[in-house]
Amino acid sequence: MPQTTIYAAPRTREQTPPPAVATHQLARLFGRSAALAGVTMRVAAGRTIALLGPNGAGKTTLLRILATSLRPSFGRAEIESIDIVARPDVVRRRVAYLSHATGLYDDLTGAENLAFTATMRSVPEPHAAVDRVLAEVGLTADADRRVRSYSAGMRRRLALGRLLLNDWAVVLLDEPHAALDADGMALVDRLLQRWHEAGVTILVASHQAERVTRLADGWARLDSGLLIETGGSGVEADAPDLVGVPAQVGRA
Amino acid sequence: MTLTRILGAVALVAVVGASIFALFIVPADVNQGDAQRIMYVHVPSAWLAYLSFGVTALSGIAYLWRRDLRFDAVALAGAEIGVMFTAFAIWGGMMWGRPVWGVFWQWEDPRLTTTALLLALYLGYLLIRRLTEDPYRRATRAAVVGIVAAVDIPIVHFSVEWWRGLHQGPTIGSPDKVLHPSAPGLFVIALVGMVVAFTIAWSWLMVRRYQLARIEWQIEEHGRLGRISAARRAALATSPPAGEPVAGPGVEGA
Amino acid sequence: MNGLRADAAVAWAIARKDARAELRGRQATVSTLFFAALVLLLFGFALGPDARRLTEAAPGLLWLAIVFGSLLSVTRLHQLEVEDGALDELARYPVERYAIYLGKLLAGFAVVLVLGGVLLPVVAILYGISLGEAWPALVVTVLLGAIGLAAVGTFYAGVTVRMAAREVMLPLLMLPVVAPLLLAAVKATTAALAGDPLGDLGAWLQLLAAFDLVMIVAGAATYGYLLEE
Repeated sequence: MPQTTIYAAPRTREQTPPPAVATHQLARLFGRSAALAGVTMRVAAGRTIALLGPNGAGKTTLLRILATSLRPSFGRAEIESIDIVARPDVVRRRVAYLSHATGLYDDLTGAENLAFTATMRSVPEPHAAVDRVLAEVGLTADADRRVRSYSAGMRRRLALGRLLLNDWAVVLLDEPHAALDADGMALVDRLLQRWHEAGVTILVASHQAERVTRLADGWARLDSGLLIETGGSGVEADAPDLVGVPAQVGRA
Repeated sequence: MTLTRILGAVALVAVVGASIFALFIVPADVNQGDAQRIMYVHVPSAWLAYLSFGVTALSGIAYLWRRDLRFDAVALAGAEIGVMFTAFAIWGGMMWGRPVWGVFWQWEDPRLTTTALLLALYLGYLLIRRLTEDPYRRATRAAVVGIVAAVDIPIVHFSVEWWRGLHQGPTIGSPDKVLHPSAPGLFVIALVGMVVAFTIAWSWLMVRRYQLARIEWQIEEHGRLGRISAARRAALATSPPAGEPVAGPGVEGA
Repeated sequence: MNGLRADAAVAWAIARKDARAELRGRQATVSTLFFAALVLLLFGFALGPDARRLTEAAPGLLWLAIVFGSLLSVTRLHQLEVEDGALDELARYPVERYAIYLGKLLAGFAVVLVLGGVLLPVVAILYGISLGEAWPALVVTVLLGAIGLAAVGTFYAGVTVRMAAREVMLPLLMLPVVAPLLLAAVKATTAALAGDPLGDLGAWLQLLAAFDLVMIVAGAATYGYLLEE
């Protein structure tokens, strides 16, 4: 019977709040290759953590699992102490995810794309929200053009704007600076700052280590599907289990 | 293991015994002659074809509910064994139809056409399984496809029956070729005997196929776990941590 | 907001979004129509030139063309989700899965309805049948048939959306399942055109409606499982 697992508080003097994001031996196979080979980590609430590592290290896979876009092959993950496999519907209201692919409808206008998301996410006063967001990401002038005609940078801005329609507990960003010009990247930095101040837990995967670690509280480095090392504050990890590969914990 | 062997032995005896009785001892049909004996094989096959599909569909539902891959193994067994009996039933139906109807295929026979469609649905089900690599996605997809297909079968049957009922063409075959058993009691006993014997054989086949599926799954799973282990070792070998992986104070380990 | 009303709003929003994208894209709808009309033309070559034979076969040919055309249409409606990874986004919205299914079904229904509406006069012209008083019955038949095709098609498009072999798997899976729909629709069309001499038109329409209902329920119940990866 699936049950929500409660984070067992550590037996220390102070009462530490449960981590916003917690994984346990999280693994994911694609056919014959292990994109993620057993990641155990905990991210403290309200922290900004940079996920570093080369291509194929597993950063995207990790984020996608946490975003509930992918089911783990093995292991467990919890967001705000809620099991993502058992209660994905709850998790989806609290977690935002910006992926590589922008996930936009080419034949709709920018405004229509945002309006659709606003409806799907039950945003109050959707029209006003869409206008506000468009202004924020600098796309007001292009709002009524089809996304098909947008440049890559504009698409990314629109995708970012989609995130601004709601408030989140956790924001997962996969290469947010990609395909953006200097203004765009500054926008991303501004948003990261704003979220951080609002107490949102942020995981940012990026190649651009320097830029992101500047803004982050801590960092975690992945390679070949494993979390190799961490640094800074707000993120902890355990070594992967080598001897006995654990039986699948929890159901697929 | 031994229980399965006993089941197998019983099945063998039952099938041989019932077959001898039905094919040699029971007197032939007055109208259809010995051709009628095909029915003793055709009817059980058809029954098992549908039973298998029912099992597949129900196992699929069970999997979606419980997410236990053992149910998926049962579904797979049902599908593979079901295909076999379906093909056999169609072949038997055609062989029987030729002498009795004069043609191999009769569109208005709801059983024949429904069974042909059943075969198509089965094959689609097996193909979907074959084309999905990840075992959990495969189980989910298969379960869903199996359920919708199973739900379609009764509708197909009804529609073909109506199709026949409302058709006002010449009746099928000649009227006096309708079944006329010379010894009705024996006829029924033979038929029931064959159905029971075949069903026992079917359950033995299901058990064996399920066991095989479990072993296949264990091998596959072992392979998957092995790949994860290997990936971990490889990763740690090529990219050793600069410092110790940081573990927080007093927090439970892996 | 009442749960059911919220779900209906979600379904409607998705249907509108799909319809809008489809209308603006337009190449897909037009080429589907063209393809179906071409199929009808080719049937004429295959079975003609005996006009009587064509007239007799007309209902069957019409529905075959609609079925083949709908294969293309429903694929298209899921394609727009795949193109930019929008399906991932869609799956992550905190909305009921069955509402997503119904939304896509509605859009599919609209497209197949257009298909049927256009092909009916084409068939009337090519195969020399007069629609005359059969109009209401024909409209109902096309409506019911379109719902069924959309229901089954949306479902199987969802099954195959992430498969490499989706172009061949969709017809392979969908066609056996729509056999009873095809049967009933053709029978109903034939009966309608002949003025319902046997009085069986109602029965066939009922069968169509039953098929539609069963398939919608089955699809709505299981579509959610198809969105998970």
